[in-house]
Amino acid sequence: MKFEDAVKKSIKKYLKGNIPEETDETTEGGIYYTPDYFDAMEASLKEQSSQE
Amino acid sequence: MTPFSAPIPGANYTSETKNYPWHRPPDIVSFDDGVEYLMQKLAEQESTELTFSLLQMDIPITSVCNILLRQLVTKGKFGIDLAILLAGPLARYIEIIANDSGIKHEMGVDDKARIAITPTVLKMSMGIIDEDEDEAQVIEAAPEEESAGLMAPPSAEEPVTQAASATQDEMLGLMENEEEEQV
Repeated sequence: MKFEDAVKKSIKKYLKGNIPEETDETTEGGIYYTPDYFDAMEASLKEQSSQE
Repeated sequence: MTPFSAPIPGANYTSETKNYPWHRPPDIVSFDDGVEYLMQKLAEQESTELTFSLLQMDIPITSVCNILLRQLVTKGKFGIDLAILLAGPLARYIEIIANDSGIKHEMGVDDKARIAITPTVLKMSMGIIDEDEDEAQVIEAAPEEESAGLMAPPSAEEPVTQAASATQDEMLGLMENEEEEQV
């Protein structure tokens, strides 16, 4: 598998809500930058722009 | 490569092993540290300009991630494995900032939506190609050459006619024999 194919596959999985499980388990307190974190970030940015 | 021009066994031990950044341990090994570094990197003006310019050229986010991550791997920031894991958050972050800035973008996860990046596409998106160049690229259909050889097939305009039997005999050399016999 080429690097660009692996990148594409990784993006696809992350956008579906999957996170790297092994990394999550080995990280203390779990992964911080999850898909939920980015959803919340997007929502807050939208809120800010609508207020402006 | 001939067998004698190949490196000898153990030749790798004779050269410096820390010549390239990817020969050394990467600077960042943690997933969260990697995402944080990428977000800080994208906040830099140069990176933002580059990313947005690429998106405006209809280059999908997956390709932008590919370019950025490859660059950082060669600089020794991440290992390849971590770079692949970081592709997801990076793509999502680029999508968010592109949406926030009102830049039209495409994720490029589906193969159908992918536009192959060719020199012509890049030139066209950058507005480099002139009208004259466009015209020059049009391949004109080659004019049909008229066949004039002896072995050429007959044209539709000239119907195929059969020679008279006397002419055919003459062509085959049968007439000469008859003349010689008469003499």
